[in-house]
Amino acid sequence: MSTRHLAALGALTALLLAQPVSAGNTLVRAGQRVAVAKSAMTVMPGTEWNKLGARPGRNSETWTQDGEALNDLTFYGGIEVGRPLFREVDKKNRPLPKVSATMLVTDIPVLLENSYRVALDTSSFGIDVIEPARFAGNDGVRFTYHFSKQNETLQRRGEARGAVIGGKLYMITYEAPGLYYYDRSAAAFRSVADSVKL
Amino acid sequence: MRKLMLALLLGLATGAAGESGAIAGDKKPLPLPTYGQAYAPTTVDERGIWMLADEDERRLQDSPSRIKDPELNAYVRNVLCRTVGEDRCKSVRIYIQQVPFFNASMSPNGTMTVWSGLLLRVRNEAELGSILGHEFGHFELRHQLRSFRNRRTGSDIMAWASVLVRNSGDIRYNAWGQIYAFDRAQERDADLIGFQYLAGSQYPSSAAADVWDHAMLESDASAVGRRGSARHKYVAGIFATHPTDLARATYLRTASIEAADVKPAIVDRHRAAMAKWLPIFLNDQIKLNDFGGSEYVIGCLAEGGWSGALLFARGELYRERGNPRDLVSAAQFYQEAIAKGDAPPEAYRGLGLSLLRSQQIAEGQAALATYLRLKPDAADAALLSTLVSR
Repeated sequence: MSTRHLAALGALTALLLAQPVSAGNTLVRAGQRVAVAKSAMTVMPGTEWNKLGARPGRNSETWTQDGEALNDLTFYGGIEVGRPLFREVDKKNRPLPKVSATMLVTDIPVLLENSYRVALDTSSFGIDVIEPARFAGNDGVRFTYHFSKQNETLQRRGEARGAVIGGKLYMITYEAPGLYYYDRSAAAFRSVADSVKL
Repeated sequence: MRKLMLALLLGLATGAAGESGAIAGDKKPLPLPTYGQAYAPTTVDERGIWMLADEDERRLQDSPSRIKDPELNAYVRNVLCRTVGEDRCKSVRIYIQQVPFFNASMSPNGTMTVWSGLLLRVRNEAELGSILGHEFGHFELRHQLRSFRNRRTGSDIMAWASVLVRNSGDIRYNAWGQIYAFDRAQERDADLIGFQYLAGSQYPSSAAADVWDHAMLESDASAVGRRGSARHKYVAGIFATHPTDLARATYLRTASIEAADVKPAIVDRHRAAMAKWLPIFLNDQIKLNDFGGSEYVIGCLAEGGWSGALLFARGELYRERGNPRDLVSAAQFYQEAIAKGDAPPEAYRGLGLSLLRSQQIAEGQAALATYLRLKPDAADAALLSTLVSR
């Protein structure tokens, strides 16, 4: 092989190796206040978490301890009017519900429920407890829910807290399989959610 | 060389097809019907496909979306038995799934799955019977087994072609197309045998074509609601699994005109069976975020008159879309529902929320207060009372 070919091959290899195959997960250290979801929302985790490189949408981010399917802590930082909660897969045939300008605090659980029903293709979604709660110093809602994906018998449970602040939706959700994993990381989730500031 | 290769491929193909059950003039006896009592599959392929179907049925029994209500299951079973006959329907096990889309399916071992979206959309027992008869036709004609054998032959051809023939792209493309065309022909056969069941039953055979007419109208409404265009083709694409709705409506309508049978379609018994489930299925449908399709479905259900429950559902649909004019319309529908007298107490909740979002604070709070008085133990009572007290 000529030197020119070798040089080109070397440059190409260097280019390929320089970019990581996956965007890369990063460690979130305990006890330090961090900004999440590319927004002004900040939290202080009490334990270590992994921040996933893949984001569910533009203004959101996901943390996990044992893997996304086992515990999933997602932050939605200021979803604007007219935008869905997370990235749409099929905008034309299965559009997701969007944040509305006249949204009330009761519409926050409905938005999550309908988005999950469309995105996960399931009607096994139920909301258990809904109560008013303070979120980042504003009046918001705290609700728990359970769901399972289609063709799966695994029951997942979730808890979410959110509020509409300045016309944008801020929310933190925590989901895990109902058997063992939900209770295991629930306390870690609550310490993160209680510490949220805007 | 190329001719030799093609001849070899064709030889393989016909050889494989020859094994797969050409009954014509050989010593094998006619196979027993699949719906016979204690039917045992005999050939290797059929035993395998039944084994897989049995495993799937075991998982289906534990599915969280399964509706186990005995009355609804008995109703669907009765419609099936009236359509295909008592001796045939004994071999079928029906599972109703709470899935808000129009579909039903059949497994090779007699497992029939019906989705709640289908139960919501059929307007009478005859339409339900036409779909159930179609699915039973797949079971009776052993379609899944034949389809599997056809796919195996087609994929054999593709594999050998990719090895033996130099530019095998065309052969492989056509083999794929042939697989789908075979499946489409099977769907058409099932349509026609389902039609024959209807014609021989107490139900009118025109219901079969009606189902596809309504499906086309709903997909038009859905497309318009999503700013698309309403378009229907007569010829299905090369990789389509079913004939198009337009084609099915056409050949079934032609057949029903020839049959010329006039029988009652039985609406009342269907509505009575659905009455308990309508709020649940409508709730699932509204939460699909398909405004045009849901509006069409609710409008069809209201052909016998707008009840309080249907007006409430329409209000929920408009409130879910939530544009400023929609909220005004929703408030109006909720008020009409309340005036009818048979609306659920949630109508006051919907009315209150719509008025609050339309900046009519005092009226909205009054409606929410009425709801909290009617239903103090509602799940979101605490949250709603924060909206009232502000």
